[in-house]
Amino acid sequence: MAPTTPDGPAPAPDGTPALSVEELSKRFGSGGDAVRAVDDVSFSVERGSVVGLLGPNGAGKTTLIKSVLGTVIPDEGTVRVLGRDAADGRRATYANVDAMLEGARNDYWRLTVRENLRYFATVGGVAPDSVADRHDRLLDRLDLAEKADTPVRELSRGMKQKMSLASVLAGGAKLVFLDEPTLGLDVEGSRTLRRELRRLAEEDDLTVVVSSHDMRVIEDVCDRVIVMSAGAVVADDSVERLLGAVDDYRVRVASEELSPATIDDLRGRFDVVDADAGADPPTVEVRTDGDAAYDLFDALRAADVTLDRVDTVEPSLEDVFVRLTGAGAGGTSGSEPGDEDGAPGTGRRRATVVGDDGGAR
Amino acid sequence: MTAPDAAAGSSTEHAGARSSSTSTSTAAGDGPGDGDGARVGDDPRPATYVDLARAVLYREYLIFVRYPANAIGGIVVSLVFFGLLFFGGRLLAGRALADSLEGIVVGYFLWTLAVGAYSSVSNDIGSEVQWGTLERHVTTPFGFAPVALLKGVAKVVRTFLTSAIILAVMILLTGTTLAIAPVTVVVIAGLAVVSVLGLGFAAGGVTVLYKRVGNWLNLLQFGFVVLVSAPVLDRPWLRVLPLAHGSAMLQRAMVDGVRLWEFPLADLALLVGIAVGYLAVGSLVFHYATRRARRLGVLGDY
Repeated sequence: MAPTTPDGPAPAPDGTPALSVEELSKRFGSGGDAVRAVDDVSFSVERGSVVGLLGPNGAGKTTLIKSVLGTVIPDEGTVRVLGRDAADGRRATYANVDAMLEGARNDYWRLTVRENLRYFATVGGVAPDSVADRHDRLLDRLDLAEKADTPVRELSRGMKQKMSLASVLAGGAKLVFLDEPTLGLDVEGSRTLRRELRRLAEEDDLTVVVSSHDMRVIEDVCDRVIVMSAGAVVADDSVERLLGAVDDYRVRVASEELSPATIDDLRGRFDVVDADAGADPPTVEVRTDGDAAYDLFDALRAADVTLDRVDTVEPSLEDVFVRLTGAGAGGTSGSEPGDEDGAPGTGRRRATVVGDDGGAR
Repeated sequence: MTAPDAAAGSSTEHAGARSSSTSTSTAAGDGPGDGDGARVGDDPRPATYVDLARAVLYREYLIFVRYPANAIGGIVVSLVFFGLLFFGGRLLAGRALADSLEGIVVGYFLWTLAVGAYSSVSNDIGSEVQWGTLERHVTTPFGFAPVALLKGVAKVVRTFLTSAIILAVMILLTGTTLAIAPVTVVVIAGLAVVSVLGLGFAAGGVTVLYKRVGNWLNLLQFGFVVLVSAPVLDRPWLRVLPLAHGSAMLQRAMVDGVRLWEFPLADLALLVGIAVGYLAVGSLVFHYATRRARRLGVLGDY
């Protein structure tokens, strides 16, 4: 017998979604200063899927998650978790839900890794001895087995983050929320966490809602993305379809012979999206739909430009994101109560395409 | 003990998860695994309040034994303070102090108990807010209330341990003789301190809402001196304040040697009533403060 069914270990008789949110709104403050942090948001999440919540700082991602969890009381709207209305009894509703909020907080740093898992399994409603094997398995998978008896405070940032993830899964939650799980991790740490997240979601048949402003997390881990801006949902689709919606292919050429005059000439004839005459070598990036690529190379040859390097630039989720929200991924607006204060990445150049958050905080 | 209502309420989900896992183990013959590594030997059983109590108290115990500096620091500070009071007082008041020395020792003992319980509960709630762990407890099947209550119990036990050491040193230092009937002292002092625990919860609730105000509330503990030494014989209405009635009873128990069962029933009833009343009011303040924090979206702020 297979250990899990395709519908997960605890399918609802009628296949209800893991999470269903209808017309959820939350406003902070009153009068003219009121901020609509979450504005009439509706969506549902199928069991076993991994859904990304993407948006600039202050878009309302954290407030949305907290409103769904009930740690922020929403003004309007209904939340159903695994078929159960949160209004009918909060604690019963959230019995199979856990959340990792704001990176590596939410754990007891003076306890060891294993003590945390046991503690949070218990408060999550599961006797710790009965899931001891699950804990061993989690620690193994997340490469924490060697650190099982080390106090969390002595772990590195990346380890703490993995420990947080393990403790969220320790009680066997079926629906987990991860708010900025890679915040503050270096490139390697972020990559490991993304890989493990994907694997755990697939193998444990978890339903995961992950918020991030890091496009790579969303692209690597999620089946579907909900894009938020100013408290509202501006897009809700699969990653592939969202990427397909942007028909924006570009060519970036680099050459020592790209003079400012040539670049100006190109600007007049092509859709130049980016140019840097001062770079070494100088570069120009041109939007190339249809035959524009042929024309561009003809023009460069005519101008006696020998190409040092040619790259094609495919649309990234970030381009979709910028188009939908009109904001850079690193965030532009101020933060809102309960939102991602001080999230790194502000002012990150779009052209660098989602770097990790090394060195932040 | 019963399972939490939530666990019972969510029996479909739990039962579903359990039956699936059980069938898995059976299918795998309870062996260490059939290669795919999923859920073998993983048979979640709903946690009861006993499990919760064990988890919370064990955590408090671990912190206490692993980080003894706090407790030792508290004992040293309390003793230094008492030393100043005792030797300084002897210089200033001479014989007058010696006459009331027993009363001072008992009062100081109760004061260290009250301060220990109050500050550990209110500071602990502040820390839980800062760590984001309070917020996390809110969505668990048990909620934060029973966890906070159990922590309160642990803090009181811990404070009794440290205050017992302080009491022993004070008795040695001053050469006083006191009646220390363990049951009488623990019950009276314990109930007196429970009322202060209620104040601690209320202060913790205020801290959840207004982070900075919370720190100022620590100053309240100096007000406990007034409560411990309240003249309840002259002004009986003072007995309804936290600590005051319990303090008077503790004086009689430890100085005059009155045993618990020798007190009038009305006194004992009032002691229990005040303990339960202040604890209930404190818990209510904490509950509504947390609820307001959730409405304002500041529960997780730090």
